[in-house]
Amino acid sequence: MSLILPKFEYYKPSTLDEALELLAKFKGDARILAGGTDLIVDLRSRIKKPKAVIDIKGIKELHKLEYIEGKGLIVGATVTLNELLEHPIVKSKFHVLYDSVRQLADMQLRNRATLVGNICNASPAADSAPALLVLDAKVKAVSKRGERVIEIKDFFKWVKKTALEPDEMVTEVFIPEPPEGSRGKYYKATRNVEDLAIVGVAGLVAYPNEPSKRIVRLAYASVAPTPIRIYEVEELFKRDEPLPKLIDEAVNIALRKVSPITDVRGSDWYRRHLVDVLTRKLLIELFLEG
Amino acid sequence: MDFYGEVVSLTFKVVGKSIPRIDGLIKASGEAQYAFDLEIPGMLWAKLVRSTIAHGIIKKIDYSEALKVKGVVAVVTGKDLPYKLGIYVGDRDVLAVDRVLWYGQPVVAVVADSLEAAEEAAEKVVVEYEPLPAVLDPEEALKPDAPLLHPKLGEYRRAPGFNPIPGTNIASKYELKKGDPEKAFKEADVVIENKFKAPMVSHVYLETMNVIAWYHRDGTIEIWSSAQSPFAVRYLMSASLGIPLHKIIIHRPFIGGGFGGKAGLNLEPLVALLSKHAGYRPVRLLLSREENFYIAPVRTGIIAYIKTGARKDGRIIAHDSTYIFDSGGYADYAVNVARAAWYKCTGPYDIPNVHCISMAVYTNKVYATAFRGFGHMEFHWAVERQLDILAHELGIDPLEIRLKNALLPGKGVLPTGEKLREDAGRLDQCLIEAAKAIDWGKPPEKPKEPWKVRGKGIAALYKGPAEPPNAAASAIVKFNEDGSVDVLVGTTDYGQGTITSLAQIVAEELGLPIEKVHVRFYLDTDANAYTWQTVGSRSTFQDGNAVLMAARDAKRKILEIASQVLHVRPENLELRDEKVCVKGEPWECVSLQEVVFGYTYPNGHTVGGPVIGVGYHMPERRTYLDPTTGRAPDGSPGAPTIFITFGAQAVEIELDLLTGKVEILRYAGAFDIGKAINPLLVKGQIYGGAVMAMSLGLFEELKYGKDGRLLNPNLTDYKVARAGDIPKKMIPIIIENPQADGPYGARGLAENVMIALPAAIANAIYNATGVNIYEMPMTPENILKAIKEQKPELIEKAKKALMEYLEKKG
Ligand SMILES: Cc1cc2nc3c(=O)[nH]c(=O)nc-3n(C[C@H](O)[C@H](O)[C@H](O)COP(=O)(O)OP(=O)(O)OC[C@H]3O[C@@H](n4cnc5c(N)ncnc54)[C@H](O)[C@@H]3O)c2cc1C
Repeated sequence: MSLILPKFEYYKPSTLDEALELLAKFKGDARILAGGTDLIVDLRSRIKKPKAVIDIKGIKELHKLEYIEGKGLIVGATVTLNELLEHPIVKSKFHVLYDSVRQLADMQLRNRATLVGNICNASPAADSAPALLVLDAKVKAVSKRGERVIEIKDFFKWVKKTALEPDEMVTEVFIPEPPEGSRGKYYKATRNVEDLAIVGVAGLVAYPNEPSKRIVRLAYASVAPTPIRIYEVEELFKRDEPLPKLIDEAVNIALRKVSPITDVRGSDWYRRHLVDVLTRKLLIELFLEG
Repeated sequence: MDFYGEVVSLTFKVVGKSIPRIDGLIKASGEAQYAFDLEIPGMLWAKLVRSTIAHGIIKKIDYSEALKVKGVVAVVTGKDLPYKLGIYVGDRDVLAVDRVLWYGQPVVAVVADSLEAAEEAAEKVVVEYEPLPAVLDPEEALKPDAPLLHPKLGEYRRAPGFNPIPGTNIASKYELKKGDPEKAFKEADVVIENKFKAPMVSHVYLETMNVIAWYHRDGTIEIWSSAQSPFAVRYLMSASLGIPLHKIIIHRPFIGGGFGGKAGLNLEPLVALLSKHAGYRPVRLLLSREENFYIAPVRTGIIAYIKTGARKDGRIIAHDSTYIFDSGGYADYAVNVARAAWYKCTGPYDIPNVHCISMAVYTNKVYATAFRGFGHMEFHWAVERQLDILAHELGIDPLEIRLKNALLPGKGVLPTGEKLREDAGRLDQCLIEAAKAIDWGKPPEKPKEPWKVRGKGIAALYKGPAEPPNAAASAIVKFNEDGSVDVLVGTTDYGQGTITSLAQIVAEELGLPIEKVHVRFYLDTDANAYTWQTVGSRSTFQDGNAVLMAARDAKRKILEIASQVLHVRPENLELRDEKVCVKGEPWECVSLQEVVFGYTYPNGHTVGGPVIGVGYHMPERRTYLDPTTGRAPDGSPGAPTIFITFGAQAVEIELDLLTGKVEILRYAGAFDIGKAINPLLVKGQIYGGAVMAMSLGLFEELKYGKDGRLLNPNLTDYKVARAGDIPKKMIPIIIENPQADGPYGARGLAENVMIALPAAIANAIYNATGVNIYEMPMTPENILKAIKEQKPELIEKAKKALMEYLEKKG
């Protein structure tokens, strides 16, 4: 890895329109810079060599963190992870998001890194992604051509690939109010205290003791080319059967759906094992809390 | 505490006190200068082009395009630098010549007037290789048909006592025998044999390697380097380049960590020669973290075979071991690491019949060097695990079997035949104290979650400095006009706290407050006093003794001057509280300030002059070792080390059977260091060493792909402990049985605090689960794999416990 950054043109627009103009002009040869905790690493290692870097931190309207009672939470593109954690409503209502962001990297990094950057980077290991998946988040993508909303489940296309067009950027993520009475949690298996996930599991559970109303959602990081939500388990939990049996079945479904690889962080064998035990632990804790 | 310790501690004013480190504030404030911070006007930048294969012949190097880049001053290849480097075996190219030995080895250097230009040009250099089969595993490298890394091994220069085997990949081999092991194995009630492994690891010092060199037109070379042992850098450069010592000046600013990784000669000769090729202009080479992973030397890996024979009562009567150290592409310090492990092969136990082989073996990986512990963590991992396996086999408590076999002062005999000195440290006390501190013998409390288990483990250790029998240290104590002193030493304090302890020794001897003692932080080889190297936990003992002698020399000179002033023989004077007074008549005095620059009479006449004390320390009665016997050249017992620091490390752990993750609940480390010159700094070493050892034991490993490519050349995937990983409870225990020839009885400590901890963790895992771990690091995945292989039912039980938890609580 090089000691220095490659040459690029640096822009720091103060309005969204200017940023969109630049994106259109460079036709995919520009990268957005938010916290830069992914981008700078990729530049220094020459994984990315864009002609232009567009720093969006000067765009005031993107620094938006707003909760609308009964509707949900809006997280703008330049809101840092620590700002998110410090917002009282995130801790009290969006448990699974809070729990995953709390475990993302470390304090120094979260001072810079953004939630939107985490999903736009589209790493299979993105810690906030499973949480956003179980919360049915919506991503607002904007370009000079207009704007559209992408469901988070449709946002991740492949390793480090999103549904964004080259001239589009994300302005905000909208996270609807979680189901009433729901609890959420994120388990992250790591090699030491500060690490990318070997496996991450996000869970959301409501009405654990009322099968007909019961809601169970599971999503994973680092077990497939993209973060994934496993919808197939959700119907299962509507059945009026003993929970241990349902958990066994859910684990089996999850194990069929994941496709982990072997890399320096862990083998596919270990990742599968973690999917098994972490899913169990997570569900049990959420059922017991509920 | 013993009689001597009791008396001296009552009379000490500065020694034995917990004084905060004297270089702490300027380090914390950022004022301390590192090689990284320095700049010389007109300085050029170097960039290295690295090998893209693990083993092969360099067919062609084309740098014509690189030369066209604006700002490029020179492009240099291995052929332009016809020198061989290497402290013990002269096997190392400055830049690869003809053949590359590992993926990432520097092949070409580009020098330009900016880093940007150097990087751009480096990318344009094209190197063609003819790949050769690579060998990554040292055992594979020992096979007769393995590819040879150094076909010319027989022609290389070698230091006395080192033993390369030409025609093989063995960089150096050692063997020793004591008693009659064959017979003893036959007589043993039990014989156990095991294989253990530890990987190559990185030092991960904070400041990556960086050097500024300026080859002057008058033939002198100035170097600014982040080097632990500047005098060794100078000596080895002189020897390999054929330049007289006084023509080479090494400037050593503050250093951002070293841990042995910066002990030897590294990039300095390359950058010096680049400066010459660039027209006698100063050149800087600074490695990024990733480059540091590829280029800078690492710690040896080990494959260890041990066979142990014991009687039913736990007495070990025979030991046979073969330690195969992974040296990587060059011999560097690895051949001395293998040597140190050879003459201490049994671990800290008194075993009558011993056969040991140890060797350093070339493989196609970055070369290995010194690393805090110098091979001892690697072979203690094997010895201390083996001992627990034996204890369980015999049904004897792991603490008891250690006490039964411990090397004891005045009685124990080391593998080289040397009897342990009578004032050596007490391993038995260390073991008992460490065990007590974690309530050894009491079963651990039950963990809250039923899928977790707890266990306790203990392991013992010993180590002394691995150095030649004539490794010198010296010191200069210079008085200033106002009665303060400047102290010049050769050692490097990159975190150990040595300079603070040395200041305490000077203050104690000269009756000065510590504030009046300045030990020079920065070092220049043409100004400071000499020391051989900063390695092997030798500084407090050797540089400490040198400083002590220099302070006493200064004191003698002061008393001589005062004697003329007070008209009393020097032996009837005493120096205290910055005054020289007549013994028995404490009102008859002259102030220190009045005599340290000579005394000036009221009429202007003078006696004496500025006081400068000098001192040295040489190892005494130490010997070279015959690599085929472990004895001294004359056949008498081999005596390699000036002291041995014994210790014991004990842990209580909790293991999650679902994930394989282990957590240290409490740790106790007890070390017999003779005398703690500064208990605060000693504790700092015990804490810091435990964290580093835990990190190595649980997380760290350089991982290589089949093609020899390093898979984790960054801190994302080379994991080191972070603040959150530190054990919550650590208990440092200082034991002080003084050694007569140590300064105030002190022995060294800095490496010993690391050595046995990984084995103690593994022993605790066995205690908790009955599962044996043979290989480091003990990552959650590796632990779980071992459980799955040896006791899969434990995982199933844990899963069941988890599900029952729901039923019970739900
Ligand atoms: C030491 C370290 C530890 C880390 N640990 C973790 C961890 O534990 N878990 C984890 O998930 N991640 C981790 N990361 C990765 C990273 O910190 C996170 O992904 C972070 O959230 C990225 O946010 P950012 O604002 O820094 O993104 P940036 O680096 O600014 O951007 C990331 C990518 O998204 C693009 N982008 C950013 N904003 C937009 C936008 N509005 N529209 C379109 N594209 C955009 C950028 O062009 C870039 O390609 C770690 C990184 C480091 C350096």
